[in-house]
Amino acid sequence: MAKNGIGFALSLVNKFASSDLVDKLKIRKPAEKIAYASTRAGFQIASSASQGLQQVRNMLTNPFQLHKPEKSDLFDLSLSDEQQLIRDSLRRFAIEKIRTEAAKTNDNPTTLSNENTPLQTAFNDLGIIEYAIPEAYGGLAQVASPVGNVLIAEDLSYGDMGIALSLMNNFCAANIISRWGTSDQQASYLPALLGENPLRATLAVNEPAPLFNPMQMQTKAIPEDGGYRLIGKKSLVCQGMDAEIFIVAASLPDGQSRLFLLDSSIDGLLRKPEPTMGIKAANTARLKLDNIFVPTHACIGNDNFNWQLCLDLGAVMWCGMAIGTSQAMLDYVIPYCNERKAFGEPISHRQSVAFMIADMATEVEAMRLLTYRAAARIEQGLDSTRETYLAKLYCADKSVKIATDGVQLLGGHGFTKEHPVERWYRDLIAITVQFNTLHA
Amino acid sequence: MKVLVAVKRVIDYNVKVRVKPDNTGVDLTNVKMAMNPFCEIAVEEAVRLKEKGVATEIVVVSIGPKAAQEQIRTALALGADRGIHVETDEEIQSLAAAKLLKAVVDKEQPSLVILGKQSIDNDNNQTGQMLAALAGYPQGTFASEVSVDGDKVKVTREIDGGLMTVSLNLPAIVTTDLRLNEPRYASLPNIMKAKKKPLESTTPADLGVDVTPRLTTLKVEAPAQRQAGIKVADVAELVDKLKNEAKVI
Repeated sequence: MAKNGIGFALSLVNKFASSDLVDKLKIRKPAEKIAYASTRAGFQIASSASQGLQQVRNMLTNPFQLHKPEKSDLFDLSLSDEQQLIRDSLRRFAIEKIRTEAAKTNDNPTTLSNENTPLQTAFNDLGIIEYAIPEAYGGLAQVASPVGNVLIAEDLSYGDMGIALSLMNNFCAANIISRWGTSDQQASYLPALLGENPLRATLAVNEPAPLFNPMQMQTKAIPEDGGYRLIGKKSLVCQGMDAEIFIVAASLPDGQSRLFLLDSSIDGLLRKPEPTMGIKAANTARLKLDNIFVPTHACIGNDNFNWQLCLDLGAVMWCGMAIGTSQAMLDYVIPYCNERKAFGEPISHRQSVAFMIADMATEVEAMRLLTYRAAARIEQGLDSTRETYLAKLYCADKSVKIATDGVQLLGGHGFTKEHPVERWYRDLIAITVQFNTLHA
Repeated sequence: MKVLVAVKRVIDYNVKVRVKPDNTGVDLTNVKMAMNPFCEIAVEEAVRLKEKGVATEIVVVSIGPKAAQEQIRTALALGADRGIHVETDEEIQSLAAAKLLKAVVDKEQPSLVILGKQSIDNDNNQTGQMLAALAGYPQGTFASEVSVDGDKVKVTREIDGGLMTVSLNLPAIVTTDLRLNEPRYASLPNIMKAKKKPLESTTPADLGVDVTPRLTTLKVEAPAQRQAGIKVADVAELVDKLKNEAKVI
């Protein structure tokens, strides 16, 4: 059975699968696309050797690659019509649906554990995940668009960073598998990430080590017959207590890094809650990988895998998160300072206040330009590591400053939970430490 | 059944409006524009009719400058099938809008025309009614519920002190009130599909309509600033002020 494409995919899934997971793979809604339909049929009839399987096997020999978009000759920093429409829709969603849930989710981080919350359902209706999945697997993506993905991160984070992270888990997992996955991994997982009751996936990169450096991870993948042994710890894993699939980063003995797909029920995987100062809605967890055996085909990607680019794609998304929440902070303090009166006039008439706001506005715009440029270079397939790290450094630095200033501008009120700025303050600190979850 | 929906490009409802210094109108420079909220409700209602299998095609029409195509695209992303843009940079008053829409109705022959009850920029609340008169169609204004049954449409209207339900013969005009529905968010797949939907452009001249304004705006003023409150020393002073200054008792 493990010889043909679909059987291979099935065995991959079944091997780590709790029955729950297989259920999810089976109950997918029928889709129009032939590959998806045949794949699903493949799951249902398992080993029966029908013509359909032969067809699928031919189709899935090579992983599907989204190509890069056409390069424009213009120097143009404006959004395309499509990007603008997406922004209009998502910003409204962020304000009306996400921000209204933010305080509640902050106080009770397990709110989003239930996958059928009204918020999750409303988010699924937006169909963002389809932007990450190629047409062949039931999505709508025609090109890989890191810039579009960063804009999505920014707009959702405008509502609330913690909720945005939780909602984007599957989107980012789909991005990873669409970009790096083998044909079997794409066929098994991409359709399962779509729909009303999708698999819940998350990416684990961070480690509880001092001065964590993703280029020198302590989590090891030791090759052995037919697979790898994974040993190590992962920290701050977004929705780690509820995820069904983990994408775990580990380093090979030769120093290279790889991502591995693990089912949550696999032997040797231990997890416990790891509450944090901010992004509480992400309900973070600590993972312990206690000598876990994974088969060779759990390793994402082949020789095409590029760990540096993988990190860059995560970093630009974190920059997007920083921009969204920083913009929210700016948009909140401006009317506040224009309305709040001290000594008989609005406090914005004081230079010390006005200068702080002008700095915030300048910094958010600079964060945005650095980030968009890095993302655009990734999108065009150009060298992007330098640009990404300049963006990440600047975003981390200015996020903390904007967080502090935002709270300061509200004076004593900023310290209370009456206003959202204290929450945004705690969220923005996450920009300085996080590598998890996100992937453009 | 074909449904025609008219949408208007207006200042975004979140924007704090500023009057031009010379009092000739509202300052539109660098101001965020969006679809009129009542028009969004109209689009949503048409899309729901289509989802119920009542409507077969939704045509969305907008009158205005080139940029009004953004609002047509938004409507297409919400689920409309094709767009018609009547391009003009002239000031379009209610009567001119109604005449242009009448020309589009003649051409498209829709069974139902849905409009917002008014646009939030001028608050005229006239276009739907004028269109009904020009086209000779029955009208159901301020709709809070719309249901199509055969060749009739039942419209529940919000009126002073209650609800009034009217039954109209199709083709008919319906204008939407706030509580008719809650518009959806454009989903990403629909936004991507909207790009490929047809958008036809025409002009008032092509439609043979004279759009010359019949009204002249003399002056536009911002509402008077609210005065700060005062403290009164005792009840006697309060009663005195209510009686002699506010003249409410």
